[in-house]
Amino acid sequence: MSRYSASICDQSWVIRVREVARFFPRQDSHNTVFRALTRRISNGHENGNGFYALKGINLEIAKGEKVAIVGDNGAGKTTLLKLVGGLYRPTVGQIETRGEMVLMRGAEIGMVDELSAGENLFLYSSIYGVDREKVKRNFDEIFEWAELTSFSRARLATLSSGMKARLAFSALRHFDADIFLLDEAFSAVDRHFEKKYQEVFEQQRNNDKTFLIATHDLEFAKMFCTKTLWLEKGRQKAFDATEEVLNQYIVAGT
Amino acid sequence: MFRSQTGQTIEHYAVYLLIGLVQYTHFANSTTRALTVLYSMKHLTGNAIFPKEVLVLSATMADTIELALSMLICVAVAAVSGIALSWVILLLPLVCLLQFILVSSVSLLLSCLYIFVRDIGHIWGAFLRVLIFITPIFYDRSFLGEGLGRWILLLNPLAYLINFSRTLIIDGKPVDFVSAMLLLLVTSVFLLSTFKLFKIYEPVFSEYL
Repeated sequence: MSRYSASICDQSWVIRVREVARFFPRQDSHNTVFRALTRRISNGHENGNGFYALKGINLEIAKGEKVAIVGDNGAGKTTLLKLVGGLYRPTVGQIETRGEMVLMRGAEIGMVDELSAGENLFLYSSIYGVDREKVKRNFDEIFEWAELTSFSRARLATLSSGMKARLAFSALRHFDADIFLLDEAFSAVDRHFEKKYQEVFEQQRNNDKTFLIATHDLEFAKMFCTKTLWLEKGRQKAFDATEEVLNQYIVAGT
Repeated sequence: MFRSQTGQTIEHYAVYLLIGLVQYTHFANSTTRALTVLYSMKHLTGNAIFPKEVLVLSATMADTIELALSMLICVAVAAVSGIALSWVILLLPLVCLLQFILVSSVSLLLSCLYIFVRDIGHIWGAFLRVLIFITPIFYDRSFLGEGLGRWILLLNPLAYLINFSRTLIIDGKPVDFVSAMLLLLVTSVFLLSTFKLFKIYEPVFSEYL
């Protein structure tokens, strides 16, 4: 590869993960000032008592790519999303990202039961970086899409989990981020909304937004994602075209 | 001796005491609340990408509005008590601003520390109990005398702020410009330093929650 084409190729990635490992200690108790004064504040790394949630992860995700992360519980899917999102630091290796990121873990994170659904929409959107004017402009459309127009003044506590998830997803459609890190955030929906969700994802399929989605829904991964990463007990089993990886994953599971 | 330093020799003692208590209570409550804000909202702190200082500063801002309303009550009580109010009370919002800067700096530092060492809450509670006695709230500044007492006063920014409010409301005189500017400079530098420290440790908050 020529130097010129290498540099073009280099510019195309928005997420680059190189030889990343993440160690989690087993903490016995919280640190106290006394312990901090007598020895270095610890998150347990130095005693070696813990486990590697991820090891030897290598990824390069281009702008606009839609990538699914599949694997059993405890495979390291959430840890990887948090590492990419900057909420954890890698114990080993390097993670680089380009562009604004949004991490969504559970639809209700960022919502307050004591406020009304409308007030929550402003709060929720501001946490994820959407400016107030944009929320104001799209306020009615967001509630209409979620089929919650009559609930905009109701206290959030009176809405079911499914309704909150619909409101969160409807708001998400207006987020401005370049990279979306989604962690099974919208799995609990009825069949009617599942179809609406799919329509939204289909519209997103060909734009330049990058998605990294941890999911157990293999049909969704096939429909939306061009590439899939398969994690098993913190190790990278495969990272390739979705069809190919999912076939391996299904065969391994049978 | 103690009695001679309190009610008997201080003019308008009720208002004097009220101002001291309002400002101390604001400082104590606001910093104590902010101390645990990152931990009590750990679902948000540990799972969403956003500047975490927003949680601390929004808590201290809400408390500063409460302080401003309490100071208005102090002014009303002063008027009812027969104190001739002067136009200089219009400078009170500046005292509230200085107190907001001070409380925000301390809160950023404490909320960050609380992530790493959870017993800092107990230590801060004990410090606040000491603070009420080493700040001239119910006694006159002269009670602390020279020597160590003078140094305690010099190093206590809350004592300056309470003194500023008393000067504006009870004495009806403008605050000493040099002292006010010096305090603004010191609290601003403290705020910038604690903010920087907060941003340095922000990327590891999730790991300790």
